[in-house]
Amino acid sequence: MTEQRQDILLGVVFAVIGVAAAIKAAAYSGASGGYPMVLGVILAGLGGLVSLKALKRKRLDERPLTQHTPRMLLTLVCAALYLALVPALGFYTTSALLVIALPVVLGFRQPIYLGLVTVVFIGIVWSVFSLLLEKPLPTEIWKRF
Amino acid sequence: METITSILSSVLATGPILAMIGSSILGVFIGALPGLNPVMAIALLLPLTYSMDPLVALAMVAGIYNGSMYGGAIPAILLRIPGTPAAIATTFDGYPMAQKGQAARALKIACWSSALGGTASALALITVGPLLARATLAFGPAEYFWIAVFGMASVGVLVGNDAVKGLMAAVFGLLLGTVGLDQLSGAPRYTFDQTWLLSGLDLIVILVGLYALPPVLSLAERADLDGLSASDLKLDNVRVPWSEVKTLIPTWIRSSLIGISVGILPGAGGNVAAFLSYNAAKNASDDPKSFGKGNPRGVAAAECGNNADNAASMIPALALGIPGNVIAALVLGALLIHGLQPGPQLFHQNPQLVGGFMVEMLLTSLIILIVGGAAATRVFAQVQRLPGVLLVPTVLVLMAVGVYVINGRVIDLWIMFVAGACGYFLEKMEVPLAPIVLGLILGPMAEQNIRRALLISRGDFSDLVTRPISATIAIATLALIIWPIGSALFRRRKTSNDAQNEEVR
Repeated sequence: MTEQRQDILLGVVFAVIGVAAAIKAAAYSGASGGYPMVLGVILAGLGGLVSLKALKRKRLDERPLTQHTPRMLLTLVCAALYLALVPALGFYTTSALLVIALPVVLGFRQPIYLGLVTVVFIGIVWSVFSLLLEKPLPTEIWKRF
Repeated sequence: METITSILSSVLATGPILAMIGSSILGVFIGALPGLNPVMAIALLLPLTYSMDPLVALAMVAGIYNGSMYGGAIPAILLRIPGTPAAIATTFDGYPMAQKGQAARALKIACWSSALGGTASALALITVGPLLARATLAFGPAEYFWIAVFGMASVGVLVGNDAVKGLMAAVFGLLLGTVGLDQLSGAPRYTFDQTWLLSGLDLIVILVGLYALPPVLSLAERADLDGLSASDLKLDNVRVPWSEVKTLIPTWIRSSLIGISVGILPGAGGNVAAFLSYNAAKNASDDPKSFGKGNPRGVAAAECGNNADNAASMIPALALGIPGNVIAALVLGALLIHGLQPGPQLFHQNPQLVGGFMVEMLLTSLIILIVGGAAATRVFAQVQRLPGVLLVPTVLVLMAVGVYVINGRVIDLWIMFVAGACGYFLEKMEVPLAPIVLGLILGPMAEQNIRRALLISRGDFSDLVTRPISATIAIATLALIIWPIGSALFRRRKTSNDAQNEEVR
C-alpha cells in the first residue's frame, strides 16, 4: 500500500476513534465528560488533518508494513495461541511449548540446542518467579488431577 | 548534610548495591544483543519491581539503562550492527578499527567513554535537578496543567518526522488515560460495563506491549537461524597508552556537554546526542578525513555523547514530570507503580528516593568501568553466538510472565498483545509511540490540575493563562506547536520562490 493510502486510512481510523470517544463522553455527567469530549474532538481533528495532509502531498511510494509477512503473521498467531492456552494448560507447560515450537515454525532445525535452551530458560523463569518471588501463575494442567 | 548521609547509607546497602551490579551486567548483555534494547528491557523489568523496595527497583533501572547503552557498542564495533539505536554513530569508526585488528582497543575506549559520559550526566542530574525542582515550588494547578501539556506537546512535536502524527499520538494517549473511574468524581468512563476496566488501563501492561512486542516481531521477521562463530568474536587484550588517553580528553569534555544538553531537551534521544558529538569531534579535528576510517576519537565522541544523555534526560522527568525520552518515561512509570507522583513535589516529599536514584545513576556509570573491562567484554560478546530466532519465544514468555504477575489477570495478557500489535503497525506508519506513553502518564496529571485550577477560579478559564508562570509555559507550548507548522510553510514558500526564480532565468 502507498504511503498516501496508509496515511489517509490512519487519519480516518483516529478520526473515527475521536468522534466515537467524544459522543460517548457527551453522555457523561458534568466535568467527568467535558475533558474526554474535548480530547475526542481534538483527536478527530488531528486524524482529519493527517488524512488531508496525505491527500494533498500525494506520497505514492510503497511503505511496507512488514519485512516478512508470513513470519510476522506466524509469530502473531503463535503468540495469540500461547496466550489462549496459558489458562488451559498452565504457564510453564505452555511456555515450554512456545519456546520449542516457535523457533521450529521460523525454520530453526537444531533439536538438541533447542531442547537445552528450553530447559535452561524455563528453569531460570521458574527459579525467579515461582521459587524466589513466589508469584502465583496459572496452574499446570497435570497438577489439576 | 543529614539528607546526603542518609541517601548514601540507603544506596550503599546490600540490596541496591547487588541490584546495581547485577542489572549493569544484564544491561550490557541486553545492549550487546541486536534486536533487544534498553527500552524493551526496562519495560519487561518494571512488572517485577512491584514488590521491591523502590530504591532497589530504581537501581535496576539505572543499571540496565547505563549498561545497555555501553553494551550497544560491542556489536557496533565487532560487527557494524548497532546493539541499540544510540550506537549507530559508534559503528562509523569502531568497525573500521576492528577491521584493522584494533577491536579490543576500540571496545576499551568505548567503555571508558561510556563511563565518563554517564558520570558527567549523573553529576549534571545531581546538581541541576534539585535547583530546577526548587524553582517550581511556586507552581499551582494551572502551572502543573501547562507543564503536562508542554511535556506532551514537546515529545509529540519533536519525536518522529511528522508533528501532526506525534500530537495525534499524544492525544490518543491522553484519551487512553481517561479509561476507568474518574479520579475526582468516581464516575466510570469508557468502561463498557466491564469491571476489569474500572481501574483503567495499566500503564505497565501497555508499556510492555508497545515496547517489547514490535522488536520481537522484527526479530521473528529477520529469522536469524545461526549465531556468530567464536572466531568472529576473538579479542586480544591490549593497553591504551596514556599519551592516547590524553588526546581523548577534549573529546570527552565536548561530548559530555553535548550529551547533557540533548538529554535535558525533551524529545531528543541518545542517538541524536551521539551524532552531534561525533560531528563536533570531526569538525574540531585537525584531520577530519580520518573519521570514518577508524579514528578512536570517533568512538570516544559517539559513546561519550550517547551515555551523557542518560541521566540528563531524567532532569526534566524528575523535576517537572516531563520525560526527556522514552526511558525517562519508563522511570516515571516505575515511580508511579510505587505510588510516587513524578513532578516538582517529588523532590520535596521523597528527597531520599530521588537523591538515591541520582546517586545510583552515578554509581552504575562507574560500574561500567569494571563490568566493561576486556575480560568481561569477551564474555558479553559471546551472546552474539545465540541465534536470534531463539530470542523471539523467550522474550514473549518474559513479557507474559511480567504482565501476568502485576494483577494476576489473563485479560492483561490480551491487552498487552493488542497494544503491541497496534504499536508495531503504528511504528511502521511513522506514528511515534513515546507520545502515547507520555499521554497515559501525564494525562491524569493534566486533567486533575486543570479541573482543580477551574474549581479554584470558579470556572474562569482566563486564570489558566493570566498567572505569569502559567502564561509563560502556555506561550512556550503554543510556540512549540506552531514552530514546525511555520517552518514548513516558510520552507514551502522558499521552494516555490526558488522555482519561480529558476523559471524567470
